[in-house]
Amino acid sequence: MDLIRLEHKKLWRKTSVKISVLLFFIYTVVIGNILVYQWFTFGSSNHDSYSPFGNNFDGYSMIKESQEYSRTFGGTLTDETLQKMVSDYQTNHQAAKAGDEAADRKEDQTDWQIIDHWISGLYPELKDADRYQIMISYVAPEKLTGFYDRRTQAIEDFLAAGGQTGAEREYLMQLEEKVKKPFSYEYVEGWSTLLGSTVAELGTVLALFLAIILSPMFSGEWRDNTSPLLLTTKNGWKEIARAKIIVGLLFSVELFVLFAGSMLFCQSIYLGWTGWNMPIQTIKLLSIAPMNMLQAELYEYAFAFLGSISFAGVVLLISAAVKNNVFALLFSLAAVYGPMMIVQYLPFSLQKALDLLPLVGSSTDIFRTNTFCIFGKYIWSPYLLITVPVLVGMLCLPFTVRKWAKKLKK
Amino acid sequence: MELSLDRLTKQYGSKIAVDHVSADLKPGVYGLLGANGAGKTTLMRMLCAILESTSGEVLLDGTEVSSMGEDYRNLLGYLPQDFGYYPNYTAEEFLHYIAALKGIPRGKARKKTKELLEIVGLDFAAKKKLKTFSGGMKQRAGIAQALLNDPRILILDEPTAGLDPKERVRFRNLISDYADNKIVILSTHIVSDIEAIADQVFLMKKGQFILQGSVPELTEKAGGKVWELTVPQKESRKYLETMAVANVRHEGRQVVLRIISDRKPAENAVPCMATLEDLYLYYFGAEDTGLYDRHA
Repeated sequence: MDLIRLEHKKLWRKTSVKISVLLFFIYTVVIGNILVYQWFTFGSSNHDSYSPFGNNFDGYSMIKESQEYSRTFGGTLTDETLQKMVSDYQTNHQAAKAGDEAADRKEDQTDWQIIDHWISGLYPELKDADRYQIMISYVAPEKLTGFYDRRTQAIEDFLAAGGQTGAEREYLMQLEEKVKKPFSYEYVEGWSTLLGSTVAELGTVLALFLAIILSPMFSGEWRDNTSPLLLTTKNGWKEIARAKIIVGLLFSVELFVLFAGSMLFCQSIYLGWTGWNMPIQTIKLLSIAPMNMLQAELYEYAFAFLGSISFAGVVLLISAAVKNNVFALLFSLAAVYGPMMIVQYLPFSLQKALDLLPLVGSSTDIFRTNTFCIFGKYIWSPYLLITVPVLVGMLCLPFTVRKWAKKLKK
Repeated sequence: MELSLDRLTKQYGSKIAVDHVSADLKPGVYGLLGANGAGKTTLMRMLCAILESTSGEVLLDGTEVSSMGEDYRNLLGYLPQDFGYYPNYTAEEFLHYIAALKGIPRGKARKKTKELLEIVGLDFAAKKKLKTFSGGMKQRAGIAQALLNDPRILILDEPTAGLDPKERVRFRNLISDYADNKIVILSTHIVSDIEAIADQVFLMKKGQFILQGSVPELTEKAGGKVWELTVPQKESRKYLETMAVANVRHEGRQVVLRIISDRKPAENAVPCMATLEDLYLYYFGAEDTGLYDRHA
């Protein structure tokens, strides 16, 4: 226990670790959360600028007003509420164009991006190819009928176009049947940003910092030239390998808790938990998972958490197998970003296989209809994307000890 | 307790670093003396069981040490030649860490750390990071870590490198006090350190023990080979270029040379008492000329 405590202290003592954690905090919490909520994404638009940097610094009040505005539609998404939302948007849009500032702000508070995504997906025949504006600004509200039937048809068309037929289609449609309709509706844009990018990207950023911090864990002993000391002490290489593995995994937990905690804190301040029970289909209509926003958020955090622990296992193995810190870092980065870079050039089945490596896949698969076929049985991809990387990471650990012992005794 | 080296050999390709070395070591202080590349460090690493021998074995009371595993490591204290450390640790934390590796309970480790930092004169720097330490301070921290588990077998590779004269004296006293009923093996270039504390000295050359014995026994072997010669300054160059000169001392316009030679170097040369340094120079003079300051 003492060795683990001291190894942990040794890790946190490194200047590189302190700087990395600080940079990670600035990138993830300050830029990725506070500024996104207050400025880039949710700040009211400034019509003199087309850049997110031109937005006003009023995200907090805009989010609160948007949430309040969304509640005026009664909390359920029906043809009538959809028509009312579109109609309301068009009224505000016209008034804003005429110079009404209050209407302009009101327009910003609507879920116009989400609603436009719904109607352009489900009512393609209403699209006017000669108009450059978004559909929500001109489509006749009364024509927006049969929302749920059209959605079911769109899913079936989508599956057929992707070659997902037979048993696979049956399996996915069974999942879809469990989605509760009509959808409950509140302000979607906040959840869309949170689940589509903020939390979803946490794992990718964690991978970078875990690689930087953990890659010298074992290989650094060669730079410090401490192997003769380690080999001539009673507990020697075996205990230190155990301590390093525990500390490496513990550190990945700490890093995750630190940042997930900060992100949840930012979320509770800016977005709160309003609309937690909306189905994720309000973000992406063709999703088939019977999940609400809170379940999706829990999945994405669990994905990042288990992914980072698993990736820590991979990095520790690389660190034990390589004697040079730079190579250990490069190989660790390659273990996650390499597959991400080459994946688009590979056949689809290989792409899916690579997604099973720690932090290579994406938690946003909950919005997709990807499946794995194992011994003839179809499994929805998010189930495997969250479990298989853990097995990969844990499998690396005994090899880490073996590699370390082998290198040390050479 | 007896540590036996039985025809211990280490070969790297065609190069033999240690060549059939045998010795029986009982409690006491043993000095390993030899030029760079003589095989001292390789031998010490084999004694520590961190380097496998090509042939031969190291036995502790009849048991092969590599098969003893942690039982042997528990008896061992080792200061490697290029002592590695963790730069961001303080001296105290570093010793706590090594104590944990040595399996010393926390309370005992804290007490022992405090005690050893005082002994090696680093108590004032206990809370300072190792990266701020001078070479001598790091070396003292290294000596302290080797002593943490009160090892029965203490192996020190160049322990006095980087230590100033005062620290060297402190080190010698520490080892002399410590060595009771323990096996202490140290290698050094600084002959006077070995002369002061070693009970037995091994002279190593090209991987072999070429001489072994106590300091008086060894210096006796150099008897009749050490001469003092007083010559005018301009004549001294001739001797410096052709003979092994252990020391040069200026006395007015004259120069007093201490020459190691099998034969009398000049008519007026006077025989004198040999030291271990003279013996060393007799055997290694040609290959390790940096040992002596010719202008002292």
